[in-house]
Amino acid sequence: MALSGMRGLSVFISDVRNCQNKEQERLRVDKELGNVRTRFKNEKGLSPYEKKKYVWKMLYIYMLGYDVDFGHMEAVSLISAPKYPEKQVGYIVTACLLNENHDFLRLAINTVRNDIIGRNETFQCLALTLVGNIGGREFAESLAADVQKLLISSSCRPLVRKKAALCLLRLYRKNPDVVNVDGWADRMAQLLDERDLGVLTSSMSLLVALVSNNHEAYWSCLPKCVKTLERLARNQDIPQEYTYYGIPSPWLQVKTMRALQYFPTVEDPNTRRSLFEVLQRILMGTDVVKNVNKNNASHAVLFEALALVMHLDAEKEMMSQCVALLGKFIAVREPNIRYLGLENMTRMLMVTDVQDIIKRHQAQIITSLKDPDISIRRRALDLLYGMCDVSNAKDIVEELLQYLSSADFAMREELSLKAAILAEKFAPDLSWYVDVILQLIDKAGDFVSDDIWFRVVQFVTNNEDLQSYAAAKAREYLNKPAIHETMVKVSAYILGEYGHLLARRPGYSPKELFTIIHEKHPTVSTSTIPILLSSYAKILMHTQPPEPELQNQIWTIFNKYESCIDVEIQQRAAEYFALSRKGASLMDILAEMPKFPERQSALIRKAEDAEVDTAEQSAIKLRAQQQMSTALVVTDQRPPNGMPAQPSIGPLSLVKVPSETVDSQNPGDQGLTHPNGVVYKEDPQPPSQDIIGDLLGTLSIEGPPGAVAQSPQSATYEAEGAPSAADAAALVPVGEESGSVQPIGNINERFYALCLKDSGVLYEDPNIQIGIKAEWRAHQGRLVLFLGNKNTASLGSVQALILPPTHLKMELSLVPETIPPRAQVQCPLEVMNLRPSRDVAVLDFSYKFGPTMVNVKLRLPAVLNKFLQPITVSPEEFFPQWRSLSGPPLKLQEVVRGVRPLPLPEMANLFNTYRLTVCPGLDPNPNNLVASTTFYSETTRAMLCLVSSQLFIESSTL
Amino acid sequence: MIKAVMVMNTQGKPRLTKFYEFLVRKRQTQFSLFFFLPCLIRAENVSNFMEADSIFGPDSRLVYKHYATLYFVFVFDSSENELAMLDLIQVFVETLDKCFRNVCELDIVFNYSKLHTILDEIIFGGQVLETSSAEVMKVVEEISRQESASNSIGLVTKTVSGWRNR
Repeated sequence: MALSGMRGLSVFISDVRNCQNKEQERLRVDKELGNVRTRFKNEKGLSPYEKKKYVWKMLYIYMLGYDVDFGHMEAVSLISAPKYPEKQVGYIVTACLLNENHDFLRLAINTVRNDIIGRNETFQCLALTLVGNIGGREFAESLAADVQKLLISSSCRPLVRKKAALCLLRLYRKNPDVVNVDGWADRMAQLLDERDLGVLTSSMSLLVALVSNNHEAYWSCLPKCVKTLERLARNQDIPQEYTYYGIPSPWLQVKTMRALQYFPTVEDPNTRRSLFEVLQRILMGTDVVKNVNKNNASHAVLFEALALVMHLDAEKEMMSQCVALLGKFIAVREPNIRYLGLENMTRMLMVTDVQDIIKRHQAQIITSLKDPDISIRRRALDLLYGMCDVSNAKDIVEELLQYLSSADFAMREELSLKAAILAEKFAPDLSWYVDVILQLIDKAGDFVSDDIWFRVVQFVTNNEDLQSYAAAKAREYLNKPAIHETMVKVSAYILGEYGHLLARRPGYSPKELFTIIHEKHPTVSTSTIPILLSSYAKILMHTQPPEPELQNQIWTIFNKYESCIDVEIQQRAAEYFALSRKGASLMDILAEMPKFPERQSALIRKAEDAEVDTAEQSAIKLRAQQQMSTALVVTDQRPPNGMPAQPSIGPLSLVKVPSETVDSQNPGDQGLTHPNGVVYKEDPQPPSQDIIGDLLGTLSIEGPPGAVAQSPQSATYEAEGAPSAADAAALVPVGEESGSVQPIGNINERFYALCLKDSGVLYEDPNIQIGIKAEWRAHQGRLVLFLGNKNTASLGSVQALILPPTHLKMELSLVPETIPPRAQVQCPLEVMNLRPSRDVAVLDFSYKFGPTMVNVKLRLPAVLNKFLQPITVSPEEFFPQWRSLSGPPLKLQEVVRGVRPLPLPEMANLFNTYRLTVCPGLDPNPNNLVASTTFYSETTRAMLCLVSSQLFIESSTL
Repeated sequence: MIKAVMVMNTQGKPRLTKFYEFLVRKRQTQFSLFFFLPCLIRAENVSNFMEADSIFGPDSRLVYKHYATLYFVFVFDSSENELAMLDLIQVFVETLDKCFRNVCELDIVFNYSKLHTILDEIIFGGQVLETSSAEVMKVVEEISRQESASNSIGLVTKTVSGWRNR
């Protein structure tokens, strides 16, 4: 090879090898660098051979970790050498030494381009490799088109084409604005038909890059990916050299499944079925075998399949199968599989609702915390942290505490932070929280950050019930012979503040408290002394009448520190000394500390920040984002309460009946006259998300009160005699001071989200979180309101009042007047739907925190679609029914014009979320969507509803 | 994407380094230092994965494989499958083995340019290029022929490297 025959280089390498220590090596390297530098200076005399030799030496030195800041020019100039060996060295060394922003690279662009468009394949490969490694913007501008040509050229060998694919990938990733991939979908689809597995692997990577940016354009590639995967999984027509330990190219299988994870869903039922068959085969057909390499390869494929199943949210059946597999993995002997099993379980927590199944493996996960492998222990810790909730917090946190004393030093900080956060987040009661934190400080004081002990002091200060308990605990720890300085700080602080609460107990007299704290005094650093001084002053203040002996002892200490060099200590000593001579006035000045204002825990904030930092566009997170954004789109676009946003309501407005009056006069009438609500829609253009909002609105038979401008919930307010609040945000602050309590998150968005799902957060502010969980059966529903106090102090004057619209019967169970600190109360709410209506029930909720009275009015998600139950209708039933309905008010039709297009699959998805069953294939026209559902109310009983949505292109209707 | 490939011996001496992300290179010196301490004391029956975020920045994974006196290390991000990366190390080593007939550390020390050539045929700009060691060998042999066409001296033979053995 190139290196061979270069005796000087070999000699240099063995010299470096023979160096006894780093210093010798450095001397030898410096000498060589000096030598090379002088030779390069007199470049004229250098033969290409010598140049090549010196450039290799530079690369070797660079690899050893030394900086090589000269000779770049020489390396670049070798690229234009006519002979292969020199050219190769030039390309390899340039790619290693330089980065994409290096100025010298510009000099090479022309040569590189000539090599790429030239006829010599080996030169093409070298040039592509350079561009693929360090090609920057200018390369993209001048070369992207050529590289694209190479990739699809039929005359190129696979060797060149696979490099062209990856080269294009690099240029596209770095400069998506320069590399034009418009219209590449077809080409990509063609590339996926490639027979050569090398080219196919590279093309698949390119596809991943393209779909990760914009999957919409590449739907046509999806079936091809599934085909490829099928071909590989069934080992059909796979050349021997691409079979790795009996597994057909695991890399290509993995890449293909990665690509599939960038598509939000697989629509086509046939493709979906084939895909799931393959996945099922992979999940079931993989066994742990003896050969390590085979094991690795088969499990690489298996874990990717798991990720894909998680992404596609398959039927629950497959999901629990996945968790079962993972449960098996975390207990196997093979450490790599244990590691990945734990990691994937953690991922699974993020994407789906399988927490309960995962909890069954809690014992095994806790065992993994003691695994010999630190990587596995870390994964187990992550998983425990992720799966912790109120139900298992006690067990998990206690395990973590136990593990703390034997854990590696490298893990202790993370471990104690996580334990502290979990204890705070899920504490069943506050004394337990205090126990945990004190134990934490005791066991791992060095790793407990200040935030942790500040927080526990804050809790104790804000909760009177906790104070004497904490003081007793602190006293216990001080009894120990050697305790961590942080423990001295916490104990001294707590005993100074609250030690007097226990003064009657034996061992808690001021003098005894002082003695036990002061014993620790010689061992502490200057940062703790101010805290000790404050404690002494407080103890002295609580000793009434003063004990002369104690007083003298403490005064001596103050006296001593009055001349301390540390300003903080000196100041405190001087002030406390002066104050303590004033007798009674001391009481006010040294009284208990006031309560801390509630704020978000610094710890939790820290943890959240860390999560944001590591956010990366992995497929799963990307998906989570997509989910979130579609949810936002749906809810955002939907006008409040299903009110049509467009001014053109069309024929529909004609049939709307003012609800309030009609309803109260003849309540049964509606149901009798409208046995079937039918909406017939014609869309001049593909519909936008808005339509669904409208659709939901129009599905109901009665309309909102006449005037379009008036929102239905303000009508509700009026009906209930509440002040007519035009505030659409549904947050009606009472009095000025409540303006200081701002809701967290958008109340409207939360409401709309809850209209589509059955559990979630309805409202949140710094003090309280109101969650909701609902079950619906026919015309009845059972909601549970979860009122969670987020504070360390209780919330008082809690009142919840339901303002139901006339069509709903609602009964709320008793709401307690106070919610204890950090507690959650559950209030069941029974709902019964009497007749169809679009009005919304409102929860009038108020509580008092400190002097602040907070009152909010929240819409409850007991909306029309909750009383729908999907039903499938056969064509024989559908069309006769449809035709039997003649016109308004039984059959409503609305044409919505000028709306943004929405792809049919998404439209169908939206229908499904509204519990309208889309009946595929019912309507021969693929642009039409037909759906059916049953509506339940007490007066109407089950009522069949049919919906047909048709899309027309504008021109055809005109 | 693969961020870096490193080969080093059990004493922490680098034998081959290739960085696909330029920033990663800056951390290299630090890396050799940090990596080796834990690696040397690791027991045998542990996983091939290590935490790498602290060394290579967020979203870094590290997988290594131990062969006789050498460690092969790949650093990559979450867009790659961990076990597939482990397999790729195996492909790399198997290719070296075919190329040098029972590869040993010395082959790698004195033929590190050849290592670059082989690596460039397996990983391209941080992406998996070729996974069949047979295919890689074909290309490498072709390149060798090209070279010897203009340079008549062949590989450093085992005897020569053996002569350099200390």
